[in-house]
Amino acid sequence: MMNPRWRTPTCILQAVNEVNIKAVTASFRKQAIEFLADPQWIIPSIVAPFIFTVVVLMMYPDRSGTVLLQAILGGGVLGMWGNTLFASGYSLSYDRVNGTLEPLLLSPTNMFDVIVGRSIWNTFIGIVNMVFIYIFAALAFNTEMTIADPLAFVLIMLVTLFSLSCVGLIFSVTFVFSRKSYILTGMFEYPLYVLSGAVIPITLLPEWTNPISMMLPPTWGVEALRASAIEGYSTVFGFGMWGNTLICILVSLVYALIARAVMSRIVREVQKTGSFAGY
Amino acid sequence: MGRNLQAMTSSAVMYARNKFSLIPVWLWVLQIVITSFFTMFFFAVMADYVNNPDLTVRYVVIGNMVQSIAATTLFSVADIPGTEKHTGMLSSLVQSPASLFSIFMGMSMLNILSGLISATLSLCYAQFIFGIDLSAANFLSIAVIFLITTLSLTGLGMAVGSVGLRLRTSTIIANIVSYIGLLICGVNFPISYLPEWVQFFSYLNPLTYAVNATRGAADGMGIAEISGDLTVMVVLGAAYLLISFILFSVFEKRMRDLGLYDSF
Repeated sequence: MMNPRWRTPTCILQAVNEVNIKAVTASFRKQAIEFLADPQWIIPSIVAPFIFTVVVLMMYPDRSGTVLLQAILGGGVLGMWGNTLFASGYSLSYDRVNGTLEPLLLSPTNMFDVIVGRSIWNTFIGIVNMVFIYIFAALAFNTEMTIADPLAFVLIMLVTLFSLSCVGLIFSVTFVFSRKSYILTGMFEYPLYVLSGAVIPITLLPEWTNPISMMLPPTWGVEALRASAIEGYSTVFGFGMWGNTLICILVSLVYALIARAVMSRIVREVQKTGSFAGY
Repeated sequence: MGRNLQAMTSSAVMYARNKFSLIPVWLWVLQIVITSFFTMFFFAVMADYVNNPDLTVRYVVIGNMVQSIAATTLFSVADIPGTEKHTGMLSSLVQSPASLFSIFMGMSMLNILSGLISATLSLCYAQFIFGIDLSAANFLSIAVIFLITTLSLTGLGMAVGSVGLRLRTSTIIANIVSYIGLLICGVNFPISYLPEWVQFFSYLNPLTYAVNATRGAADGMGIAEISGDLTVMVVLGAAYLLISFILFSVFEKRMRDLGLYDSF
């Protein structure tokens, strides 16, 4: 009988072990090729985060280096959010429209691995927003920005990217579940922008929203990113830069596990009932 | 004229029927409720945080109240041709004897309604959630502004959608035009903050005048006092509608002549 205290970590390790890296890589590559063939689709996903960030920058009476840096970091994460929400969700919706959902569900490759590859690419390409914001800020405000700890910044950026991919998995799963999911994506976009604290500091939000913010992995990722970029930055919930990074990883893994469990259940169900695209 | 009206009515009914066969009405309303609230909330909190003496929470909340119409009506109307193209319905529509302009105008009706719902909800949020004092407001003026804004933004949306007909998709251009209002129309900060060449585009968007008129009406101005802004909105809306009519007619004829349909 396994000690219940060890069940959760073992479960995570087992799930990580079961990931088919070859399938994830192939799915990542396919998503990249599709994007590069028609890169204009990045625009609908990041136009809102980009404009939100620029508006926020314009609202500040004084746009010093730290303010700019905070806005760029927040805007970058919002861009990744936007692309994760839309691209990850809609990728399976397009499968349904194009009639490729059934072959995908029937193939011996685990559906979850396919979605993981897609989600990683979709989040990664959302970084484009950060580049756009940086170029805009550099041209419009002509302010120099320096990163306090560049190595930690890159590492934490990768962790944040991973955490957003995990959120993308949850959204992808809902798209397999129902055709109505695209409405959920539209509905969640703004609440998630607000609650993750990417641009608005969480301390300004009502206290009752704090537990919701804490349940979102990017909240921790953004805090860790700020701590790595801004000298002397003290994180909202404490725990320091690496503490926030660790929590971000743990919360993300929980998301991935939930998505995996739900996906397995749905796939089993549709294979049994043969409902597939009509599901 | 009679046939065009008939086409408009039947496409309005079909569009609503299709929409609500995919999603229930309550979910459609819930999306409007949540989106309009959180956009307003986002910028209201920012206004409070940035401590800019020019930007009070009242200033930003009233701006976003009108912007909610652009986020729903303008985007949805501009995206209609792209959605029809994406779902493979455009070729059937081009082959039908009804004009594309009438069909797309009919499809816009539900989006006009959603814009009005969104603006009304935003007005309630402003007063009851954000605590904006509207005791001196002239609600008749506000109602007229909402109606004219929705119609003039429908004109702009139709013009954008007609350009989108010539492109591979209208979704991208629809996204940009509907969100750009947040930046250039004085919604969250005065347009004097913008470079002069950007301000030129601000004055081409009916939203700029709508935001200005609503701020006046919220302070108690009557219809006569905001008639200047209302007139410009009507003129701009009519001009955009005319442009969209011409573009739809030209592209429709070309599509039929060349047999290009949705690959156009």
